[in-house]
Amino acid sequence: MKQIFHIFINSLKRSCLQLVQRRFMLLMMTAMPLFCAWFMLDLMKSGAIERAPVALIDLDNSSLSRNLQRNLAAMQGLHITEEFDSFHDAMRALQRGDVLGFFYIPPRLEQRTLAGEHPLVSYYINYAYFAPASQQLKGYKTVSLLANGSIAMTTIEATGLVGGHNIMSVLQPVLTHVHGISNPWMNYSYYLNMSFVPCLLALFVLLATATSIGNELKYNTTREWLDSAGGSMWIALTGKLLPHTVVFVAVGWLVQCLMFRVYGLPLHGNPWNMILAMLLFVPACQAFAVAMFCFAPNYRYGATLCTLMGMLSFSFCGFSLPGEAMYPIINAVGYIMPVRHYFLISADQALNGIDIYFSRWHYAILIIYLLVPLPMLWRLKHECKNPLYLP
Amino acid sequence: MNIKKFNIFNWLLQVFGVSIRELKLIFADVGVIIFFLVVCLVYPVLYSLIYNTELPRDVKVVVVDDDRSADTREFVRMLDATQEVAVVGYAASMQEARRLVNDHECYSIVHFPADFSASVERLGEQAHVNVYCDMSVMMRYRQTLIAVNAVQQEMNAHIQAATVSAIPMNVGGTTLDNKQVPLGNTAMGLASAVLPCILVLVLQQSMILGVGMLHGGSRDRRRRNGGIDPEQLNCSALVTVLGRTVAYLLVYVVPTFYTLLLVPKFFSFPQNGNPFEIIMMSLPYLIACALFAQTLKVLIKGREATFITLVFTSVGFVFLSGISWPRYQMSELWQAVGNMIPSTWAASSYIQMQSNGASLFDQGPTHVMLWLLCGIYLVTATFAEYYIARRQNTGESPSPLKGERL
Repeated sequence: MKQIFHIFINSLKRSCLQLVQRRFMLLMMTAMPLFCAWFMLDLMKSGAIERAPVALIDLDNSSLSRNLQRNLAAMQGLHITEEFDSFHDAMRALQRGDVLGFFYIPPRLEQRTLAGEHPLVSYYINYAYFAPASQQLKGYKTVSLLANGSIAMTTIEATGLVGGHNIMSVLQPVLTHVHGISNPWMNYSYYLNMSFVPCLLALFVLLATATSIGNELKYNTTREWLDSAGGSMWIALTGKLLPHTVVFVAVGWLVQCLMFRVYGLPLHGNPWNMILAMLLFVPACQAFAVAMFCFAPNYRYGATLCTLMGMLSFSFCGFSLPGEAMYPIINAVGYIMPVRHYFLISADQALNGIDIYFSRWHYAILIIYLLVPLPMLWRLKHECKNPLYLP
Repeated sequence: MNIKKFNIFNWLLQVFGVSIRELKLIFADVGVIIFFLVVCLVYPVLYSLIYNTELPRDVKVVVVDDDRSADTREFVRMLDATQEVAVVGYAASMQEARRLVNDHECYSIVHFPADFSASVERLGEQAHVNVYCDMSVMMRYRQTLIAVNAVQQEMNAHIQAATVSAIPMNVGGTTLDNKQVPLGNTAMGLASAVLPCILVLVLQQSMILGVGMLHGGSRDRRRRNGGIDPEQLNCSALVTVLGRTVAYLLVYVVPTFYTLLLVPKFFSFPQNGNPFEIIMMSLPYLIACALFAQTLKVLIKGREATFITLVFTSVGFVFLSGISWPRYQMSELWQAVGNMIPSTWAASSYIQMQSNGASLFDQGPTHVMLWLLCGIYLVTATFAEYYIARRQNTGESPSPLKGERL
């Protein structure tokens, strides 16, 4: 037992020394993840998507159309930057990318409305930019309904059937209120950074692990590495990666601090649950990278595989398109990545602040990741004994 | 003083020589081929497959009905019939519904208060429905909102028709119709919105990684050969940069056609652009990318260091292009940084052309910016090459013993 401990310390020393000597690597493990986290959080610091640049075509120029125009200008999601006299000009502005949509008021709108001819106002939205498009739809729709309501209100009042604020009950007998649990502001940063920032950190962990194992292969030091651990692949890997774990967990906690304290992302649950999640998340990512390396024990393919999985996890882990909406097989692949489980934990523990009981499986799976490389370690060991570096 | 006469023919021959040497290096290197060709081939398809379903359909909701009336049942039936939402069941109380949400059995709760139908029947009262959505993925909230609003409008029209029929004037329903016309991405889905940007990005990022790896390989060779790369021709920095740029452009002919023109065909993404104009736009883009990549490569310390040094930039460049978070809402700092990245301009240009059928003329300013970036990065790439060559000549070679290796 004492011997194993001694070997372990030996292996650990070697790894720490390497880490300190390679300043560039240390920089990529500390400063870059923090910079990237800051970049994402700072980019979206204004929170909600507002003031989409839009155009207006008013071919009516009546009091009703000006009323519509005023209401449009007052909408938070819209910002009327241009006014055009023809559909063609507006379309050109949209094609140039100057505006993201436009509101079309047809000729004789007021006249036809009062005559009960049901004229049509239409809004053209560029859905190539998805998030501003949703904001525009909301804005245009609200303004059209408001205008409709105010006209109807005048008419109903004139009939004397109902009066005062009771009119609303005629216009909108059923009213729905849609509430976003834990993010009523529809803050885009709160939603997106909750998943993308940890995913970026995971990418760095995967690549740093792949690089540090790969370098042993590249510089033909695998035998020395294995010897320092008394020939045990398991001890060699633990000794090598434990200093990384310490560095990355510390960076991860700093990132969490940046997210939840500096940029105020919602942390409605017990903070210790998130701290624990980060402590499990980093080793899980490392284990995943080791498993990828065992699967393809070659610097080039191992690192390529880690890159592929790390980059694709931004998409197939269901951060923007939810998992259940994807093809089942892709959804299943998403569950392979540790960051998916970390994301589900943070949705439960940070955003919704529910009991840790509901996230128990994801915590357990993060721990189970540590066992995943074990059945495949022999492949890496074999490669380490007979190292072959393919440039 | 012996001033050598500048011979344009000789100079072009040198550029040509560098190109040929670079092409040989590229095709002899599986790692680089993976980036230049395999990544361009595989990534667009993988991303398209991931997002191909476009939108979540049948987002699961649970109903808490404290009223249990014909009206609430009708509302629930109509809600279940929408494409966006599926009602998975009834919960006896809000606590039970909340528990189902926590267990991820469903993502929203629709709650009818006990006086719902009474309020519908009574003139002068509004009936309220509360919907609570899980916000971990905003797409689910968006779909639920659309479904609920549609049902509300439909139901209101029904009720109005009954109550206001007493009024002779035609005010039931609407006096002023309104209609949405989606442009660009008529499917209104995620894939058609995100993928055009990703397709453009893939070209730039694969180029950056491949060029980085080529440079890392050159550094490794110098490390082994006492500071000299036997594969490098002895030319001026400008000639080397231009020659390599030509080589990369040649390699990227097929990937560009495939990525920008064929992949949208495979997956029926918007294809309203003129193919010729798209290729014209991609020319300055690829040149800018090649020069940008040759500037960034000074950061690379070895072949495989490319991965950890440059891979993460993809995420940053996607966000700077403004496809997710709009550019007009970024701070001036990030707008300026985004302006310096070729993909920002190319992505917006490609999206406008493919989605909205813009012409190259419409995208003129963007096109000019791309050429401007070519100029800027030609200067930086030449300086980078000069710096690398000087370090090589002064014998400041990276030694494996000095802990220079990554």
